[in-house]
Amino acid sequence: MNTIPVIINDKKLDVDPGKTILEVCRENDIEMLTMCHLKGVMDIGACRLCLVEVEGANKLMSACTTRVNANMIVRTATDKIKRYQRITTELFFAERNHVCSVCVANGKCELQQLGYKVELDHIRYPHLFPQCEVDTSHPWYVMDHNRCIMCTRCVRVCTEVEGAHNWDVMNRGHQVRIISDFNTPWGESITCTSCGKCLHACPTGAIWPKAIVQGQLEKKPEMLSELMEKRKMKL
Amino acid sequence: MKSGTAVHTKELSKTDPRVKLIAAKMKKENYKPDALIEILHTAQNAYGYLPKEVLAYITKALHLPPSRVYSTVTFYHFFSLKSKGEHTCLVCTGTACYVKGAQAILNEIEKKLGLKAGQVSADDKLGVQVARCIGACGLAPAVVLDDEVQAKVSPDEIIKKINIKIGTV
Ligand code: SF4
Ligand code: SF4
Ligand code: FES
Ligand code: FES
Repeated sequence: MNTIPVIINDKKLDVDPGKTILEVCRENDIEMLTMCHLKGVMDIGACRLCLVEVEGANKLMSACTTRVNANMIVRTATDKIKRYQRITTELFFAERNHVCSVCVANGKCELQQLGYKVELDHIRYPHLFPQCEVDTSHPWYVMDHNRCIMCTRCVRVCTEVEGAHNWDVMNRGHQVRIISDFNTPWGESITCTSCGKCLHACPTGAIWPKAIVQGQLEKKPEMLSELMEKRKMKL
Repeated sequence: MKSGTAVHTKELSKTDPRVKLIAAKMKKENYKPDALIEILHTAQNAYGYLPKEVLAYITKALHLPPSRVYSTVTFYHFFSLKSKGEHTCLVCTGTACYVKGAQAILNEIEKKLGLKAGQVSADDKLGVQVARCIGACGLAPAVVLDDEVQAKVSPDEIIKKINIKIGTV
């Protein structure tokens, strides 16, 4: 395959056309912050963490949904981008109720790690403290909306990988919530196959198995990516 | 383990003209999932809102995931999941019913009960809504009181029936 030249952070790279900026960065060990991206499922550009500057574009572009072009000039770590990433991270924490010290995902949470990476020490925005439900109706799993960041990784994994489409998103604005079926308790869903994939896709402590104690949660999102890779190989 | 009660709620009445209206619309659209919004419009226009069992019916007929349908309904402001009031009086204002006196019915409701279309009584007992053709033109003017279609009703009759429903007689 013919490669095309792109310049990322002043370094010239020869890359395969058709790849996203994010894929190219990851392959070349350029650190990228992401939250809604999960390798193997469709990218939707929702979390705005992977924003990059592309010369000639009048706005920041999400690297996960932007494909490389020949001679594209990209910057991934400018002050402006860092400022945005910090704001985005703060808003994640301000929008729902995140109390790491009592969370099953403490120490294993992608949101917590993101906080460390952007050196979050305090949050400048007022916390919304929304009233959120904790759905414990499923026999094995819990869905705690207090810890959900609306990345929709669970939705896409359940739909694209498991093919069950139990999850989707209801409402808009601050009222958005992940729902199963008709906003039905998860345990009464007629579509969920109880496969557990959403649990591994979820970057936070929002979805977790009941048979776990605080801080013991081990999630394997890369397992889902591998699964999708293997499926492609069979084709 | 999975009772499924929440999606499979009560069955729709096969004789309700509104169900036939939705069925006809879905058939016309070839049960295309892409036509979901238009079909929901038809349902909302016939019922004044989108009852759960109507959603379940459409979801099943179009072979869509329930959460997908619910997501669509809650995204657009013109869809509503709740009927207002404990009892609902849905006055059809489609062409046939309009010609046969739907406005007189609405006027009488306003005069006697002080409620305009879209309003709910202060005690939340009664909600008055209008629909655009419920598919029962032969019965015009048609009014649906809770789930019963009232055919060829006069303003007086409908006020009496409402009063019985809300227990003021
Ligand atoms: S357990 Fe599997 S089928 Fe059930 S919601 Fe999660 S991903 Fe979907
Ligand atoms: S439950 Fe988890 S995976 Fe699903 S949207 Fe919320 S944070 Fe993302
Ligand atoms: S990872 Fe690109 S927008 Fe979320
Ligand atoms: S106009 Fe009222 S039922 Fe058709």
